[in-house]
Amino acid sequence: MRKIIAPLIIGAALSTAFAADDSLKQEIEALKTQMAELKSAQSKMNIDALRAQVTEIKAHDAGDNIKWNVDFRTSYDVIDYKITDGSKTDNAIWTNKLILGMAAQPADNLVFKGALGVYKTFGQNNINDTSMFQGFDWYGTQKPGDDSIKLREAYFLYFGDMGDVHYSASFGRRPSVDGFMTNLRADNENPASPVGHNINMEFDGASFKFDLDKVTGISGMYIKLCLGRGFSETTGAYSQGTAGFNPAYIKDGMNPNMDLAGLLMQFYDDGQYKIMANVFKGWNMMGVGMELADQSLTRFYDVGDMTGASLSLQVNGIGNGINDFLDDSVFFISYAVNKTDPNNVPVNTYSGSMVTAINYGMSGAGMLGSTEKETGSSIYTGVQVPGIMAGQRLGLEYNHGSKYWRSFTYGEDTLAGSKLATRGDAYEIYYILPIVKKNLTAQLSYVYMDYNYAGSDMFFGQTGNPEGLMGMMPYVESASNIKASIRYRY
Amino acid sequence: MKKVIGLVISAFFILGLMSTSAFADSAKGQKYYLKYMKNDSGMNGAKFATQHTQAEWKALFEGKGEKFIAEYSKKFPALEGFLKGDKFEKFMPDIKDFCLEFASDSGNVPSC
Repeated sequence: MRKIIAPLIIGAALSTAFAADDSLKQEIEALKTQMAELKSAQSKMNIDALRAQVTEIKAHDAGDNIKWNVDFRTSYDVIDYKITDGSKTDNAIWTNKLILGMAAQPADNLVFKGALGVYKTFGQNNINDTSMFQGFDWYGTQKPGDDSIKLREAYFLYFGDMGDVHYSASFGRRPSVDGFMTNLRADNENPASPVGHNINMEFDGASFKFDLDKVTGISGMYIKLCLGRGFSETTGAYSQGTAGFNPAYIKDGMNPNMDLAGLLMQFYDDGQYKIMANVFKGWNMMGVGMELADQSLTRFYDVGDMTGASLSLQVNGIGNGINDFLDDSVFFISYAVNKTDPNNVPVNTYSGSMVTAINYGMSGAGMLGSTEKETGSSIYTGVQVPGIMAGQRLGLEYNHGSKYWRSFTYGEDTLAGSKLATRGDAYEIYYILPIVKKNLTAQLSYVYMDYNYAGSDMFFGQTGNPEGLMGMMPYVESASNIKASIRYRY
Repeated sequence: MKKVIGLVISAFFILGLMSTSAFADSAKGQKYYLKYMKNDSGMNGAKFATQHTQAEWKALFEGKGEKFIAEYSKKFPALEGFLKGDKFEKFMPDIKDFCLEFASDSGNVPSC
């Protein structure tokens, strides 16, 4: 039996081995074919041509260390004023506004950001001749003027971690226009640095930010120290004195450096609820002097210091899943205060004599028309909800300012003057519609400002007098601004 | 002037009729990330989005985002509840848009 079984087993084993050998051979043949195909494909590839192409791309991109973006808008503004003497005046203006954004990140912990801007009226290039304030540094790309390119933003950010505290340090011209809350009416997705209720203007300075969310366990918590210089006391090159040319860039002995230091605090941000506050102090605020004999403006003076603060809440998505409309609605409310500290230096002259102006009781001393410390306040609230069709937005805003309210909102993009500086009531309704996604949008807005006092949106000395300049000059009683615009961004 | 105002306002509403239909919104995606995902991932939005290239995000969000849900449920188990819920399905296009906009090869430079 064994003699029969053993050859059978050996036979079966050998036949299986031969079968396996055949299968292996087939697999090897298939692999050989694949290899041949790969080799053939590889030989068809022109490696040298690819290398040349890559070199060409590298040579082309070498030194291209800025990424650019474009924000271009054409607007039609209709502005209307009613003056306290009963007169009325209006105008309709077409403007072009171009902002060229720049960005670069040469290292993981270093970023550069910048923006150049031109905001001009149609067919007018000598508009700066119409006013000594037109070319002011605080709103170079936020008020329409001539066609010169101005620096809107330029700063670097250096960041890192100190334990659980992420920090950033930055110097340069700040991203200080259209900040928290006011970014909604400006249709900017991301707010710039400040609280837009009381700070909205271009300035140079520095910031130091510390994220405290990990150490406190409070979502989104951070503090940011902001420093700015709103005016530098210096002459230029080749300025002339009584004895010929002055040395370059010396103090002119007129308005001293105007500085601002503020602390921005984000107490909480979980994506839905956001609470922010700021406190600040401004030193050597500007007020303009007058020659009373012909009522002309002379020069700027330091009229004193000012402190201010704000507390703001934004709710991005009302309720929690009640319905799509509320989920996509934004509500905000903010309260702000300011307090003056005048130095009571006389600023006016009469026929060139300051003493005569003082003797007439019209020295122009004080801040906001008062030689006392005055306090002002403002409330600002608004809502932005979905529009009729998908992607469209409807916004409603209201703000009220008291007699001595003074904001730093000179850079607000409202031709009729900053609505947030209003001493009285201001209302706004706007509608935003995307035409080609967010790359081409249109916006229609109407702002109405009903002033209870004079001096809104003016400087810090006598021109900010709530009773009117020298307590007697007529002033704007109400103003309105309709704006229709179309905007390209990419 | 009234005629011009009338014309401009009419043009505005005509543009409204021509406007694009619904589109994903990266700003909304960022908001949803902050609200529903940041705490459990322990990363800020910019850091989260740079974990993948745009092509990788597109692959992860394919279909109903099954691969994204699987990867991030495994990485951050505390996120599983949100990722497998109705809200994620609803917000996914915006979250995807946010991830694409700030992906590692997006060229986007963070603000801070």
